[in-house]
Amino acid sequence: MPGDWSIGVSDVHERLRRLLFLVPYISKHPGISVEELARALSLGTDQLLKELEILTMVGRPPFQPDDYIDIYVENGRVYVDLDQRFSAPPRLTAAEATALTAAAELLKPAAGGALESALAKLEKVLPAEVRRQYRDMGRKIDASVQGPPELALLAKAIADRREASFAYYSHGRGAVEQRQVRPLELFSHRGQWYLHAYCLSRKDERLFRLDRIRDLAVTNTPFERGNGRRPMVPNPAGAAKEVKVRFSEVVAPYIRERFGQHVRALEDGGAEVNVAGDSERWLVQWVLSFGGEAQVVEPEWARRLIAQAAAAAAAH
Amino acid sequence: MERTERLLDLVALLLDAREPISWAELRDAFPEDYQASSDEAAERKFERDKAELLELGIPIAYVQGDDDRKDGYVVDREAYYLPEVGLTPQELAVLYAAGSAALASGAFPGRSDLAHALRKIGFFAGTEVPTPRVRMEWGAVPPALEQDLGQKLEQLWNGSATRKSVELSYYSPRSGQTTSRRVDPYGLAMRRGIWSLVGFCHLRQGIRTFHLHRIRALKVNPLKPKTPDFDVPSDFRLDEHVASYPWQHRIHAPVDVTLSLRGEISKLAPRLFPDAKVHSEGSSSRAVVTATYTDGLLRYALSLSPDCSVLGPPAAVERWSQMTARILQAHETACPAIGASA
Repeated sequence: MPGDWSIGVSDVHERLRRLLFLVPYISKHPGISVEELARALSLGTDQLLKELEILTMVGRPPFQPDDYIDIYVENGRVYVDLDQRFSAPPRLTAAEATALTAAAELLKPAAGGALESALAKLEKVLPAEVRRQYRDMGRKIDASVQGPPELALLAKAIADRREASFAYYSHGRGAVEQRQVRPLELFSHRGQWYLHAYCLSRKDERLFRLDRIRDLAVTNTPFERGNGRRPMVPNPAGAAKEVKVRFSEVVAPYIRERFGQHVRALEDGGAEVNVAGDSERWLVQWVLSFGGEAQVVEPEWARRLIAQAAAAAAAH
Repeated sequence: MERTERLLDLVALLLDAREPISWAELRDAFPEDYQASSDEAAERKFERDKAELLELGIPIAYVQGDDDRKDGYVVDREAYYLPEVGLTPQELAVLYAAGSAALASGAFPGRSDLAHALRKIGFFAGTEVPTPRVRMEWGAVPPALEQDLGQKLEQLWNGSATRKSVELSYYSPRSGQTTSRRVDPYGLAMRRGIWSLVGFCHLRQGIRTFHLHRIRALKVNPLKPKTPDFDVPSDFRLDEHVASYPWQHRIHAPVDVTLSLRGEISKLAPRLFPDAKVHSEGSSSRAVVTATYTDGLLRYALSLSPDCSVLGPPAAVERWSQMTARILQAHETACPAIGASA
């Protein structure tokens, strides 16, 4: 869980809830190493040690020696004397419950019943006032990725390391082919779900778009996971790409948003981009999807393909 | 005493107390903080501390005494401690997967809250939770700009949670202009990798949807942070204001457009048009899609041609012919200038 989470949250607020979590966590894991504890809190070890120092100064009035939290680091390990007051962290706040639920939306179809039941259990332990706030905040965020139903089965196949088979509609070939794969990871890019898998038919790692998978079946054949690399969805644009496409003034602003530095501005307000031509089918469909606001300038073979496709579309 | 330290001491004191603690006792316990200034200033200081504790989920309350106990402040211990929620390993794994995917996506509102929530639900889980193999990439902006997007999300999330107005300068690709406006942020929605703000726009005097990556500058009203600037209408629904598909942009009144799908595409019809009524006959299907932006639907349908075409209504068929004619014209001969025929 990388990144800077403190943006927008006041420093005091952030530190307090960290510290209120720290004490119970240490008493639950006595002798936890500084490194491990820092990881659990997503802090650097220096920052963690500073936080621990503050905790040694926390106590209750009148601040006699016995009134302080007895927390100490010994040989790189952290201990706290059993402290009844801080035996468990505070409950979820409305904001925490809301963030969790909003995130859960992302996996909704994938996670199936387990997600629903988990959220129901969490909501049950919210105090009444917090629950009211949580419901109110829930109306203010909606992160829906609309994953297909196959997500659930595939997520399970990945977790259980079981091979899967499906019929795959290859856009490049315009045909359906049967595939046997070792599913490695699911990911969503620009709202589109992909399965990253080792394809046994092609003997290589491939990306499969989930909306083109049909008749998915998970087998009982187990497999070992290697050190997979993380695949990227290729960016079709680039200066060295062979197909030059020109866009009208109407769509040029969107093209600039999408391709940024790869876009050349034209005098008439339009824009020009070079894209890959290795998948003819993709190219044709992409150009057609601009409904006349895009034009292939060169090469000539690509122009002919678009003209043929437009003629075929017009004929229907 | 530093504020963080004082607040922690307060929690320690109240969690430990067997009976309510009066204001006088609190002042005695923290002389430097609650006695150094005037009575009024000290009370205000304590009220601010109390508000912070409440926001952290610490159930601090003032109780009126009776014969058995005195007046004062208490923390309801029952309501303070996170109870064992009893999540199954599978439920925990699923929540972790969702939460980690959101955090790893680079931009998610309430990241800090989410991280804490994940820690808390993991508190009672004895074992390590497996690394989830699910990932999100919004892809709406280049990775270098994702942090900027994340920051805007946090600001807007805080703005909508506390109902504070925002000032934003917004770039519209349609007009090519950047305008400044005051917006009451009603909520945030993410569709197909794109985050949107939905809110009341004071410039346009109506509810508008803004793509976050088109917000060039953003400022939350800094005045009176604890006092809301607006109310969200009770009948407001986020979902009604964000488009999931290119034909849902609410450019015109809803029109039912009938598409014909053939070949391999035919079986994928319910997948490609999830909101459509689909009828299959043999190797082809008909999908009736309700569109509020017919051009968006037709362009999408064009990308599926020749396996997809439009059957009705006549206006949509006519528009389809115009589009295909224009593409044909632009590619048939030796490269005329685009836009000339528009």
